[in-house]
Amino acid sequence: MALPGDDLESGNSATVCKRCNENEATHKIRSESVCAKCFAAYVTTKAVKRMETFKVRASSSKAPRKFLLPLSFGPSSASLLYILDQHLRNQYERMNRAAYELYVVHIDLYLDDADKKESADLLEKYKGLFSRHTYCSHGLDEALSLGNIDWKALGISSLWQVTERTSTERLQQLIGSMPSATSKADIISTLLTRLLVEVAKENGCESILFADSTTRLAEKTLTETAKGRGFSLPWQVSDGASPYGVGFNYPLRDILKKEVVAFTSLTAPSIKDLVKLPQPLSQISASSKTTTIDDLMVQYFESVEENFPSIVANVVRTSSKLKPLINYDVSACSVCGLPVAEGTDGIYGWGGDQNSVSRAATEDTHRDILCYGCSRSING
Amino acid sequence: MAPVPCAICKTSRALIIRPKNHQKLCKACFIAIFEAEIHHTITTTALFSPGDRIAIGASGGKDSTVLASVLKTLNERYNYGLELFLLSIDEGIKGYRDDSLETVKRNAQQYDMPLKIVGYDELYGWTMDQVVETIGKKGNCTYCGVFRRQALDRGAKMLGIKHVVTGHNADDVAETILMNLLRGDLPRLARSTSIVTGDSTSDVRRSKPLKYAYEKEIVLYAHHKKLDYFSTECLYSPEAFRGSARTLIKSLERVRPSTILDVVRSGEDMAKLVPEEVTGLSQCKSQKVSLSSADGEEDGSAGCGSNGRSSGGEMADMERKLQDDEAASGREMEITAVPLTNGQQHARVAGKSRKDVGRKLTRQTLGTCKQCGYMSSQDICKACMLLEGLNKNRPKMEIEIDVEDEESSTLRRKIEGLALAAG
Repeated sequence: MALPGDDLESGNSATVCKRCNENEATHKIRSESVCAKCFAAYVTTKAVKRMETFKVRASSSKAPRKFLLPLSFGPSSASLLYILDQHLRNQYERMNRAAYELYVVHIDLYLDDADKKESADLLEKYKGLFSRHTYCSHGLDEALSLGNIDWKALGISSLWQVTERTSTERLQQLIGSMPSATSKADIISTLLTRLLVEVAKENGCESILFADSTTRLAEKTLTETAKGRGFSLPWQVSDGASPYGVGFNYPLRDILKKEVVAFTSLTAPSIKDLVKLPQPLSQISASSKTTTIDDLMVQYFESVEENFPSIVANVVRTSSKLKPLINYDVSACSVCGLPVAEGTDGIYGWGGDQNSVSRAATEDTHRDILCYGCSRSING
Repeated sequence: MAPVPCAICKTSRALIIRPKNHQKLCKACFIAIFEAEIHHTITTTALFSPGDRIAIGASGGKDSTVLASVLKTLNERYNYGLELFLLSIDEGIKGYRDDSLETVKRNAQQYDMPLKIVGYDELYGWTMDQVVETIGKKGNCTYCGVFRRQALDRGAKMLGIKHVVTGHNADDVAETILMNLLRGDLPRLARSTSIVTGDSTSDVRRSKPLKYAYEKEIVLYAHHKKLDYFSTECLYSPEAFRGSARTLIKSLERVRPSTILDVVRSGEDMAKLVPEEVTGLSQCKSQKVSLSSADGEEDGSAGCGSNGRSSGGEMADMERKLQDDEAASGREMEITAVPLTNGQQHARVAGKSRKDVGRKLTRQTLGTCKQCGYMSSQDICKACMLLEGLNKNRPKMEIEIDVEDEESSTLRRKIEGLALAAG
C-alpha cells in the first residue's frame, strides 16, 4: 500500500530501516520499513510480552509452571517454539532459572505409516534444535479413548460394534460418516482440542499455548460464527481460563500471519527447513464439495490481511471482548464439552427452527445434549 | 427418470429443492411450509396483538412484496385481527424508485391495502440523487439508511401507526452480523439480531417477521405465487463492509446451505455475550427489544443494492484510522490499556484529560432531537446532523460515514466542549 512517506524515499534505491536507522530496510511492520533484525525483534517482543503475565515465581522451592505447546510444524507453532526457547534461555542466563517449562506435543492427523514416520523424524529434528524441552507425540485416534466424549451422541452406533478394528480405522469411519467436508473439519478440530486438553492435564500443564496468529484468530472468529458456534468465541479467541479446567493462551495474537511466515526465515539457528508451509489456497472454489467454511475464511482473510491488516487486528480485538456467560444453568455438550444453556437442543427448538412438524422423527427418544455447532455438524 | 415425490405430502411431484435444507417439495407444500414458518415466527415471538395497525415498509422489491402477501394471507387465515397498511419511501432515485413505486401502487390494489408514500424531498428537502450529486457515490448508503429509517417512522406517525414491519430476511441479518464483526461494532452486534427494535416507550416499534426466511426462498415464493414485484437493484453500490460481508455470505451458503441460519443463531448467542457496558442495555431486555430505532442505519439493506460492487473506500478509511490509532497508542503509554474499538477511538483523545471516558461508555437514553423533535438518543438526531452537512454543501460527517456510532459523536461533542473550556 502506498503511503505518503514512501514517495519521499523512493528516489533512493535502498531504504534505511526506520527503527535503527542503520541497516537496509527489507521488511514491513504494518506501514513502517524496517531491517530484518528490527523486524525479528518486533515479532519476538510482541510474543514475549504476552508471556510476561507468567512471572518467575518468587520462591525457588516452587516448581516452575508447565505449559503445553502444540506443535503442528506450521510457521506459527514453529516460530512460537523458537521464540519461547530463546525467552527461556535468556531467563536461565540471567537468573539461572526460568518462569515456566514447555511440554511440546505433536498430534498426528494423518495416520498412515509414512506420515507418522515423517513427523516422528521431524519432531526429532526439533528436539535436536531445542533440546531444553520435553517432547511427545500422539495420534488423533487416541481421542477415541477419551472417556468424556459421549460417542453415542455422534449417532454412529456401528463405531464400536466391530471389535477387530484398529483405532485408526475407527477414526476414519467416524470422520467419514460426517455429512460434509465442513462437518469433517469441525469434528477433527473438536477431537484435536479435547485430546490436547487431556494431554495437558495428564502432564500437569496449567495452560495450553496456542500459536494462532492475529489472522488465524480473525479467521476463527468468523469461521466459528458461520458454523453456529458464536457462543463459544470467548474461549476460542481470548486468553484465560477455558471451561476444560486448563488455560488457553495465544501468545502470537498480536502478530499477523504474513509476519509470522516472514519471521521463520530470519531465525538463528534457522528453522526454515523444519517448517511445513500450508498448501496455497488460491484456487479454492465455493462450489467444490471438498471446500470447507474454514478454507473460505483462510482465503478471505488472506486478502483482507494484504490490504487492511488493522481491520484483521480489529476483528480479534472485538471478538476478544465477548464475555462468557456466568451464573447460568449450564450443562456440557456431549461432543465438544463446552457449556451450553440448560434446555439447549442443538439445532432444534429455537426461533430459527420453524418447521418441527416436517422434520423427520428421530429414532431414539433419548437425545443427548449437544451444542448448536456440534448438532449442525452431525445433522448436516 | 421416475419423478421424485414431495417429501411432505408424498403424493405430488417434487418440483422445488428448498434452498434452506435441500428438501424436495411440491409447489403447494413449499408455499404452505413457507407461510407456516412465518406464522411460527410471528406467534412464538408474540409479534402482534389483535386490533394492531401495522405499516408494511414497502419498496416494491421481493422482500417487502412477499411480506405484504404473506401477512395478508396469514391475517385472514389465522384471524390475527390486524389492520394492514403499505408505507413507501420515495428516496428520489430516478430509474429505480420511480419505477418501483408503480409496483407498490399496483400492490396496494392487489392486496386491497391503503398506501402512503413519503418522499425524502418533502421531509428533508433533498432527494438521494441530489445527495449523491453533492457527496459522491461513496458513503451515500449511510445517508439513505438514516433518512429511510426516520422517514418510515414519520410516515407511520402520519398514519397513526405504532408498528412498522420490514422485509429484512435471514440473509440480511447474517450479513449484518458478519459486517459488524468486520468493522468491530459490538453495540450493533448486540442488537442487530433482535426481531423487534424499539420498546413500549418509543413511538414506533419495528420488527422483521422474515428474519429467519432465506432470500432464495423469498424469491421462490414470489415466483410461484406469481407476485408482482420490482427486481432492479438500487443504482448506488453498498458500503464496502456490507458488500464484503455479502459476498462472503453467498460463498458460505454455497459451501453449507444452513450457514445463513447458523450465522443468525451465532449472532443471537453473541448478543448475550456483549458486555452490558457496551450495549447500554440490561441483559434480559436486550433479548427482546433494543433502543436504537432512532439512530441511523441499523440493519439494513432491505431495498438496497445487492450487486456487491463497491470501491472498498470505507475499508481503506477505517484501516487508515486504525493505523493512526495504533501509532498514537505507541506515544501515549498510559492509555494503551484501554481496549480499542471504533466507538472508542475518540475516547482515547479525550483520555488525555479524562482517562476513564473510554471505559465508561455512556448509556443511551432516548430523548428527542432539539432541531426536529424526532426521537433520538442524541441532542441532535443523526438525520439533522447529516442534513446540516449537506446544507453546507459539503459532507461534514466524513469521520462517521463508515462507523457512524452514537458513542463517538457524544464523545466528540464532549471533546469539543473540553477544547472550548481549555481555550
